[in-house]
Amino acid sequence: MNRRLEQALECERPDRIPFLPAIYEHKAWFIGETPSAVCRDPHLLTKALLAEYERVQPDALTIGIDVYNVEAEAIGCKVIYYEGENTSVPAIAPESVVFRGSEEVVSLKMPDPQKDGRMPLNLEVARNIMKVLGKEIPIRAALSGPFSLAAHLTGLENLFMLVFTRPNLVHELLDFASEVIKRYGQAFIELGCGVVVFDSQSSTELLSPLVYREFVLPRTRELIEYFHQQGVRNVPLIIGGNTTKMLDEYLETGANNVLCDARADVTEFLHKCSAARRAFRRNMDSTDFLTLSSEDIYHRTVDCLKESNGYPGFILGTVILPYGTPMTALDAVRSALQEYKHL
Amino acid sequence: MQFGAHFRNTNICETDRGIMKELLDLSQLIEQGQSQKALTLTQQLVNSGLPSQTILNDGLIAGMAVVGEKMRNGDMYLPEVLQSAGAMKASLAILKPLLALEGTKSRGKILIGTVKGDMHDIGKNLVSIMLQGAGFEIVDIGCNADPQRFVSAIAEHAPEIVGLSAMLTTTMLNMKTTIDAIAGAGLRSKVKIIIGGAPVSQKFADEIGADGYSRDAVLAVDKVKQFMDRTS
Repeated sequence: MNRRLEQALECERPDRIPFLPAIYEHKAWFIGETPSAVCRDPHLLTKALLAEYERVQPDALTIGIDVYNVEAEAIGCKVIYYEGENTSVPAIAPESVVFRGSEEVVSLKMPDPQKDGRMPLNLEVARNIMKVLGKEIPIRAALSGPFSLAAHLTGLENLFMLVFTRPNLVHELLDFASEVIKRYGQAFIELGCGVVVFDSQSSTELLSPLVYREFVLPRTRELIEYFHQQGVRNVPLIIGGNTTKMLDEYLETGANNVLCDARADVTEFLHKCSAARRAFRRNMDSTDFLTLSSEDIYHRTVDCLKESNGYPGFILGTVILPYGTPMTALDAVRSALQEYKHL
Repeated sequence: MQFGAHFRNTNICETDRGIMKELLDLSQLIEQGQSQKALTLTQQLVNSGLPSQTILNDGLIAGMAVVGEKMRNGDMYLPEVLQSAGAMKASLAILKPLLALEGTKSRGKILIGTVKGDMHDIGKNLVSIMLQGAGFEIVDIGCNADPQRFVSAIAEHAPEIVGLSAMLTTTMLNMKTTIDAIAGAGLRSKVKIIIGGAPVSQKFADEIGADGYSRDAVLAVDKVKQFMDRTS
């Protein structure tokens, strides 16, 4: 078993810095398919994950392509899929919100992970991947965070308005979202998978620390505690954007691995995460991968690795890789990772 | 007429002081996002015979300017900004027909949309709100707008500036396709193009041939003003 990631998450020094590129829609490219085709077909998604592992050799695999859509779709939101050769990423149709604020939260459908939407599909894929790679690397399920799921259910702008006009309703909606996420996560845990909580709609670029603290923090903390109780020791919390200002709140969630996105202040993350003995994933800006030469990407990776300052809880990641990112870019990153330990 | 200018050549009487105070109150209600109270006060000011342009500039736009400033300093976040925008929109609905009657011209026309394959609209909406709050006319063509939709809308509305938004690393590549399509239709010289969204940067804007890039909604307003000043 590759324990590199686990060691970093425990802030023990691994043999080299782990690499977790954010590969979602780009998975489909490895097998010459579109994201819309792959995310709806368990055989293609299994094939794409195996291809990702073979070609990129990440230190963990995450199940899913359009990771924020699955729970919302299972509750009743409509996902737009693209046909033919269109490589756009499936997305929730903005007009398909299932909760406008005039209804009772209890009227929302609690999805069954074994039956509803693409939840069973992703569980089938997790089962397939666990069989083949479960003893080699960590396999993790992608779960929406409560605020991001609530945003899909009622629309982000509406959710922001409800925060002020009907805060109790938002609390109820977030409780419902948390329960959905618990049940979906639990189904993966029973297969032996880990979980990753994605909640970029609650980024500090959108929410104030005050609103985060009142509405999001309690649910996220409870969710992570729940997964810990189910035997998942390491629960990463992934929130994009420049989250430096809200790092204290994110650490309070109990997540032992937070995201330091490309625009966030790595020095502040090093300082606070090492004090709290938590790991963090530093993202490289993957948009450079489309334009820079391999040599430039190599040097940029080395610069990024140096930012770790020897901290054992440092993980190298990327912003989501665009569909069709050339392999030469990822090869350059991997070369730098291999060689950096000797620098 | 700007309210300040209205007073420069006159002796400020008690009534005028009262109006100044009410305009200040209105700008504060906008800033605080108090839609109903802002609406009531806007109607009162209209009834008092104050020019709509003055109410717009010294009440609504002044309030949104404070919102922009607070947002820039990290003292105000999106939910609060949306509250303010809601208040501004409600009051603006009263003023719009009156402004048209008074023959008031907008500061410029901006066409804005999220590019093909991208359903994210919050950034685009926020930029639209801030631009409206600064007195610009907005033509919003929505999300998932393919290049041809931009081309047709430019031909139809003749904006001075086009804003392209993308939130995904995959869809940001469609910004270039859109700019190429605008050029292909012979419209590139007629508009300035500004891009924005989480994954994009000034470097990316330069690479794809955009005229400008804005990191956030407040800076987008500054950028638009810069371009409008150059063209006027």
